[in-house]
Amino acid sequence: MITTSNLGRGRRLVGFVPLAWRNLLANKPRLLRSSGGIGFAVLLMLMQLGFERAFFNASLEVIRLLDGDIFLQRASKYRFATKDPFPARDLEAARAVPGVASAWPLYAAWHELFWRNPADGKNFLVRVFAFDPDHPVLSLPELDANLKDLSDLDTAIVDRRARRFLGMDPPPPAAELNGSKIKIIGSFALGPDFENDGTVVIGDRTFAKLLPNPRGGRPDVELGVIKLTRESDPIAVRQAIAAAVPSDVAVLTKAQLLEIERKFQADVSSAGPIFAMGTLVGFVVGMLIAYQIIYTDVAEQQPQYATMKAMGYRTRYLVQVVLEQAILSALAGWVPAWLVSILLFRIVGAVALLPLHMTMELALISLLLTLSMCLISAILAVRRVISADPAEVF
Amino acid sequence: MRGEAGWPVRFALAWRILTYDKGRTALAVAGVFLAIVLVFVQLGFFIAVPRGGMLLYDRTRFDLLIASTSYEYQVQPGEFPLSRLERAKTAPEVALASPLYFGSAKWRSGEDGKAPDVFVIGLDPRDRIFASEDINLQLNVLDRTHTVLVDSMTRSMFGPLTTGRTVEIDDDKVKIGGNYVLGTGFMGLGVILVSAQNFVHLFPYRQLDQVNLGLIQLKPGVDPHHAAASLRTLLGGDTRIFTRPELETHETAYWTTRTSVGLLFGSGLIISFIVGVMVVYQILATQVSRQLPQFATLKAVGYGDRFLGGTVIIMALLIVMAGFFPALAAALGIYAVIRDETLLPVEMSGTRIAAVFAATLAMAAASALLSMSSLRRADPADLFG
Repeated sequence: MITTSNLGRGRRLVGFVPLAWRNLLANKPRLLRSSGGIGFAVLLMLMQLGFERAFFNASLEVIRLLDGDIFLQRASKYRFATKDPFPARDLEAARAVPGVASAWPLYAAWHELFWRNPADGKNFLVRVFAFDPDHPVLSLPELDANLKDLSDLDTAIVDRRARRFLGMDPPPPAAELNGSKIKIIGSFALGPDFENDGTVVIGDRTFAKLLPNPRGGRPDVELGVIKLTRESDPIAVRQAIAAAVPSDVAVLTKAQLLEIERKFQADVSSAGPIFAMGTLVGFVVGMLIAYQIIYTDVAEQQPQYATMKAMGYRTRYLVQVVLEQAILSALAGWVPAWLVSILLFRIVGAVALLPLHMTMELALISLLLTLSMCLISAILAVRRVISADPAEVF
Repeated sequence: MRGEAGWPVRFALAWRILTYDKGRTALAVAGVFLAIVLVFVQLGFFIAVPRGGMLLYDRTRFDLLIASTSYEYQVQPGEFPLSRLERAKTAPEVALASPLYFGSAKWRSGEDGKAPDVFVIGLDPRDRIFASEDINLQLNVLDRTHTVLVDSMTRSMFGPLTTGRTVEIDDDKVKIGGNYVLGTGFMGLGVILVSAQNFVHLFPYRQLDQVNLGLIQLKPGVDPHHAAASLRTLLGGDTRIFTRPELETHETAYWTTRTSVGLLFGSGLIISFIVGVMVVYQILATQVSRQLPQFATLKAVGYGDRFLGGTVIIMALLIVMAGFFPALAAALGIYAVIRDETLLPVEMSGTRIAAVFAATLAMAAASALLSMSSLRRADPADLFG
């Protein structure tokens, strides 16, 4: 005889997942269809989210590579990729501040230097960074091996991940910058962003020769890269530096530098809203598909649900089964979509030279979106179970 | 034989199935609607970006463009000697040959002490080169020294753009002589117009005899292709001459292939299309499996697979049609918003509507094909299984 207590045990025996799991596997073509439908919606969200992050990361990549604790730049500089340098003597003033271990300049040019592709003789604007090879300020491990030769005049290290038409991969033995012959002594992998097709790193002497300071003397400094001594108090040293340099030079942490750039990109480009809209459409479409799937399933299993009700199972348990099944459907859609997106990120990233990376953050966000998409649909569809009437079985 | 029953019957059946379960059909239509809106939006950007790059060309009057052989795209045009332009002026076909000078400078009067970059266009104010007569009439003000006209789309970080305000550009003080409505496109965050004389004053290292672009207006009735050919022989090999269609091809190729734009919106386009297929397929497959006994009965009484297939195709078409037209209306609204926000010429053209409509039909066809396999499971014998 079946008693309520037996049923309780039976319920536990049925366990957390098996019924939902069996329901899911009962109809293989439908499982395929549902994971395909939910999967594509998830893929759309993943691609849009990935593109959005790639867009912002591409412009932040170089800033992240800067090897320093505190940075000096002209206060009127509104973004990283614009030439607005300050005199070298201001950096020297900062170097003299107690607690500063080192203070070295980064020189840069975004719109002044043309790279001549030796393969076809065409000239292209490139982004150029320069520093004293004895005091490198970019932490690109591949640069270190070539630093000694970078001290020689007219030498350069080029970006293998630059856009193909620049002809930097494989690096040619020689090329020209603004008509000056340049020996290529090595390469690194950085990649373009949405405005710069490629990057060239040169020594400070070569930089001064290519772009002499119109006022004479050493070139002006685009960014001062400062490292603090280990025992110093960063906040106090920052204040001391700010007091030592003129007010038109800003003293910033790396986080502030990144924030200025991120804010600029978010303000001027419509990339954020464009990709957010794509993600939203993916979510809503995914919800529609999930609702469709779960609703049909519940409708088809209604006699079974009604039978279970008649046997004494609580509505709560049946609702739980439906929600479990929604979670399983979400996973069945998310896992393949996640795998495909890793592949697509690879391909698109390599073709478009974008920093499209599958990060833990992206995986988690998309998983949460997928789960909530399926659970919302399940909650909407589950009313059908609640109304399952044992009498209707016959 | 009933298998030959006409399309009206198939249509009636499809209609009955779809209207039988209105809520479900409404969901399908909503899903398709969203997918098509997304296709429209991605396509809009895919086309808007090159058009944004063409903004200056689209809004100036010329038949031929003379550029340096190192011309890359509008913002990076290279330089060539003014003498080429003067020689072009002597050609019998040419009515006007007008130089353009481009430069980038620091606008040192921005908000919060920032100095955004401003794109400077130097021109001859007497040449009425703009399509908008309003702008042409404003050009007179540029004859005054240290006076500039500012594009009304210049970003707010440049501070107020009020007429009469004195601002610092690089090391010069200039006066805002007025605002004009053209759009900044991808020229920069802010754009100003100056006379050629003021241009070389602003950029002391630049000379008037090296120009960036030359706009050629031809005399009435002259064929641009013939004129381009004769100018090419007249000017020799160190310049490049574009007709308008050639220029459009060149700029579009630049923006879609040299930047990530093509790939970005192209892949968005493809995925939205597939998502649309998935939505319709999902609905069709569910409907087919729900109506499977009925379909099997139809088969048992002699209707063939072709009849049932035709019904599924009509269902697919009805769903996508119901999604397409509202999506078109929504896309028109979204385009208008983008246009107002960016001044980019995002316009709904007949070809664009036709292209998305064709994609919509393909969506229906693909999803109908996918759901045919469920249909084949309709076995009369199963009825009594």
